[in-house]
Amino acid sequence: MLRAFVYLVLGWVLIAVVGGMADVLSLTIMLPATSAVILTHAAFSVSTSLPLGLGVAIALGYLEDLHQGAPIGTLALAHGLAFLVLRWASGRFAIGGFWLRAAAGLFSALLLDGLTLAILLVLAEPLEVPRHALLGALGVVHWHALATLFVAPPLWAGIDRLLAVLRLDDRPPQQAYWTGAGT
Amino acid sequence: MALSLRSIRNGALIVVLLGIPVLLLRSSAQDPHRMSGLDRAVRRIGAPLEAAVSYSAGMLGAFFERWVLQARVQDANEKLASENRDLRQRLREVVHLQEENQQLRRALQMREKVPEDMIPAERVGVDQSPFFRVVNIRVDRGSQYARPGMAVLSPDGVVGRIDKALDDYSDVMLITDPRSKIAVELARTKAQGILEGRTEDSCTLEVSKDYEVEVGDIVQTSGVDELFPKGHPIGQVVEIEPLVGDQQRLHVVPAVRFDRIDVVWVVLANAPGADPRSGLEGPAVQARGLQPISP
Repeated sequence: MLRAFVYLVLGWVLIAVVGGMADVLSLTIMLPATSAVILTHAAFSVSTSLPLGLGVAIALGYLEDLHQGAPIGTLALAHGLAFLVLRWASGRFAIGGFWLRAAAGLFSALLLDGLTLAILLVLAEPLEVPRHALLGALGVVHWHALATLFVAPPLWAGIDRLLAVLRLDDRPPQQAYWTGAGT
Repeated sequence: MALSLRSIRNGALIVVLLGIPVLLLRSSAQDPHRMSGLDRAVRRIGAPLEAAVSYSAGMLGAFFERWVLQARVQDANEKLASENRDLRQRLREVVHLQEENQQLRRALQMREKVPEDMIPAERVGVDQSPFFRVVNIRVDRGSQYARPGMAVLSPDGVVGRIDKALDDYSDVMLITDPRSKIAVELARTKAQGILEGRTEDSCTLEVSKDYEVEVGDIVQTSGVDELFPKGHPIGQVVEIEPLVGDQQRLHVVPAVRFDRIDVVWVVLANAPGADPRSGLEGPAVQARGLQPISP
């Protein structure tokens, strides 16, 4: 439960950080999807149960909805569905090392964007979202994914480090890799 | 395939959890602009958080911007300093050229004022004493033009005379040379005497005590020795030393700074005397013009 809370708080802070940096640096396109990385980390973590992870994903999506100004529920649903897909993938793939984490970030960002656009396209009329604007957004998805690719490895390592410091990592503390103990 | 209780519970939880965003979406679809109390509460917490991050990031950005700006200013400063060095160097060159130009102008003006037949000569070398005083200068006129004994003048006054004339250059004996003797007079009282070189930067002159002499009196050539044209300044009196008898010794500092000479004039021949018939009217000669020559 505490682990889920850490994901949520960290996710919220990172959403604000990205928003703030985007404001300062006048960036609008190449912004990393930090929530996607946290989502992937939670999905591939054995310590996070499926319902708890799904709850975190929906909560993170809800926060993204509020910060991005999306119709409430859009990103929450997209995050929830993306978490389920990533959870399914976690039973078939393992993520380790810099490049796999980067690739996972890229994939999760593309997945999240794809799901979000799909939801919005389906509900474009009742949500009063113009479809041509959504199709235009398809052209910048790769920038979003590319930014996430760069951010994913250090963010993943940071989450690992934070969870280890809080003794919430997957392995027992004496076997935490960064302490060098138990090897 | 039998489903475990845990799987059923997880499935139910997934449906319930996914139902939340669906309900939220349904609510948004009904009224896209409506915000619930929870939405407003979360925004109330999130907005200051984002503003704080934005402010912190802005401060950090401003710091780096200032740092980059300072680096740019430093680069610009170094560039300007380099340009400044170059310009100062050019300024020194211009000042040097200006001084040289001024000296040449004065030399030309002198040429126009002095009636003697003179030839310009450029200084090509100097001999200095152990105390860095100029004791001898060398000019670029050899024996083709110069002869020993010829007077050497500058716009400031008398320099000395040709000592040795070689093929390509000549040595000039300065008026401060102990071997130098020049017939001079005081410009104010016309008291005459022989100026002798004494040390590296002074000369002495003995005149009768009958003449009143003051410190600062100008000493000039008298022309009596027929070596130096009359009336050229030599220096000024800086000290008056009374001697036993009816003489007084005057210490004279040369008017010419020998270390700053670039161009001098070598007097080839003194000006001829005035034409005694210059004031008389000559015989009238009828102009021929274009008229035909009569047989």
